[in-house]
Amino acid sequence: MNVPVGNPTEDDRSGRSSWAVLTEAVAVVATGAILGLVINSISPRGLKLTRNYFPGAIHPAQLSETHDAKTVRAAQPPHHLAEHVLARLKAKNLNAIGLDRAKALFADARRASGLVVFLDARDEKQFAAGHIPGAYLFNHYRAERYLPNVLPVCMNAQQVVIYCYGADCEDSEFAAVLLRNAGVPNEKLFVYTGGYAEWHANGLPIATGPAPMLSEPAPK
Amino acid sequence: MNMLPKHVVLAITDAGGIIARLVVGGMFIYTGLSKGLDPVAFLKLLRQYEIVHTPLLLNMIAGVLPWFEVFCGSLLVAGVAVRGTAVTVLAMLIPFTIVVLRHALRLQAAANIPFCAVKFDCGCGTGEVYICAKLIENAILVFLTIWLAAGAGRKLALRYQLLR
Repeated sequence: MNVPVGNPTEDDRSGRSSWAVLTEAVAVVATGAILGLVINSISPRGLKLTRNYFPGAIHPAQLSETHDAKTVRAAQPPHHLAEHVLARLKAKNLNAIGLDRAKALFADARRASGLVVFLDARDEKQFAAGHIPGAYLFNHYRAERYLPNVLPVCMNAQQVVIYCYGADCEDSEFAAVLLRNAGVPNEKLFVYTGGYAEWHANGLPIATGPAPMLSEPAPK
Repeated sequence: MNMLPKHVVLAITDAGGIIARLVVGGMFIYTGLSKGLDPVAFLKLLRQYEIVHTPLLLNMIAGVLPWFEVFCGSLLVAGVAVRGTAVTVLAMLIPFTIVVLRHALRLQAAANIPFCAVKFDCGCGTGEVYICAKLIENAILVFLTIWLAAGAGRKLALRYQLLR
């Protein structure tokens, strides 16, 4: 009996081919994922998978802010941004300071004896390009590298000023929360919201060059 | 109406397949490396999309995906498991393009500017880009990848089919 099927062998071949492509894709995904995990774990720049790199992050819902509202805020004038940053700091129970207070603390005589400390929460490259003189580099994304050096400095200090780039940059806040979680009393920690951008724009002193070796004190 | 001889058409198709593999593969190697060498920057950009909130998942994507892209790119360039890799690349490209488009539409609405004037760092490993240029680039990549998934790019492939 003849069965009027167009070309069963071709259909079979096409089915087998699709199946082979899918199997191949699964093999690629599995191998690629394992390879990615291995490279990430051995790379000095790799991420610690279980670590929360954004400690104390405020979900938009906690600030009664939707994703759309955040996007709209990004296009608004700076004073709206400042209001939002202050609200976020308040929600994180962090102390905010502005330019005048940061300048006063920079001029404070206690800075020379390490009782007032500035921490730069940006990365190595940004720090080297320009930072507040005497500031310690504290790239919290590499906390395992910087925390052992920075923690005793913060514990000894009476006031710790933490800054990042400014504007909507949250790295100073994450660094502050990380220090607070590591045992630095919250009342010592001050987030300078204007950040390096505002400091630099106001013609205040800056220093350039890489961070001092971890065992060395930061230059005054 | 085919004016060209069959062997010329075949040669052009073969060359096109090789170029497609090199373009898509090369692009994935480049963008994967630029993200993989600075995973923290990629992690921050990913967070901005507010799609994933779990630290483990966010870190996995930021730490592993760039090297996964480099792996897929290398397979395409070398011509190993081409169709399976193309399917995998499509499964990354299409959702990613949708996410970028959605973000760009939000930025456009917020800033009230023409769509093609929207410029932002999409986390693609190429820094800030104009959205229209990015969408055209992705459309070309999707088209080439579909072509590879359909069977192009056999010529000069080390092992076109993994399972044979």
